[in-house]
Amino acid sequence: MAEFAWKSRSPLAHAVEPGRAGARAGAAGVTLTEIRDFALVQVMARRGTWAETARVAQQLWGIDAPGGPKAVFGQDVTLVGSGPDQFFVLSKGSSVQDPVEPLKQAFAGIASMTDQSDGRCMISLSGPRVRDTLAKFCSLDLHDSVFPVGAAAATSVDHSAVTLWRAPNADGGSPLYNLLVFTSFADSIWHLITESAAEYGAELGYAA
Amino acid sequence: MRISCPYCGERELGEFSYLGDASPKRPAVIAADGGVAPDAEDVFYDYVYLRDNVAGEMSEHWYHGGGCRSWLVVRRNTVSHEIKSVEIAAGAGARTGHPNQERANG
Ligand SMILES: [Zn+2]
Repeated sequence: MAEFAWKSRSPLAHAVEPGRAGARAGAAGVTLTEIRDFALVQVMARRGTWAETARVAQQLWGIDAPGGPKAVFGQDVTLVGSGPDQFFVLSKGSSVQDPVEPLKQAFAGIASMTDQSDGRCMISLSGPRVRDTLAKFCSLDLHDSVFPVGAAAATSVDHSAVTLWRAPNADGGSPLYNLLVFTSFADSIWHLITESAAEYGAELGYAA
Repeated sequence: MRISCPYCGERELGEFSYLGDASPKRPAVIAADGGVAPDAEDVFYDYVYLRDNVAGEMSEHWYHGGGCRSWLVVRRNTVSHEIKSVEIAAGAGARTGHPNQERANG
């Protein structure tokens, strides 16, 4: 029997055309980057075991698990709150066959895990006009005073559920937001974002 | 109308879906002798189908499907739309007490 391995391909491979889009004058107002190299696991504490789940997270990654809509940045992982007593574990390594496997033992009996790596696309947005762009399709108040670095939200964009969080500022000092979107809606949402950013001039690309 | 989800904070109405009255409780239809209570059909019909049309304050189930996916109990005035309180629906959150909790706490 022939030996073969599935080769993963981003659902946005077709949509992302690296380069400048929209207004051409001056520096790009928005930078949109599809992040391709990531593994994503959702951890959901079982009933009454949140404290234990948080303790295991502390042991594994040396950071506090987000007990609310927050993103917590560790050395190798980012933990993003996705709902009551649940969070995403985001790490590099799209080549990892099963990112749940190394966590199974530690969370055995207290939390359930699902591999979401192939279920979501990740888009990062930055640049001086990033907030004006987001304002067109996101109903949240993203002002520094209410949505600072480390703030996260489960919300809806274009009728689709997304996870949004603010990461440490981009090079150049502009805010940087990350968006996890369902793969089957990624094409449409990428289109929505690039259209919204067009008037400010957008620099599009991907990070493998 | 905006609803303050206990987990997410204040969000627009479009992120929520409405289920209805949160007050009906599943009736016990087993009689003392272990058989089915004689009025079981009536009380179950009432529980499943009959609803009061409240003009004023009532408890309602709302689902935050466009956010954290929690079921909420919202106390809302159906005339003014004023919202008095919003809580995570009992039993929906992992934080709620459960027999396993004793085992977990050790
Ligand atoms: Zn919520």
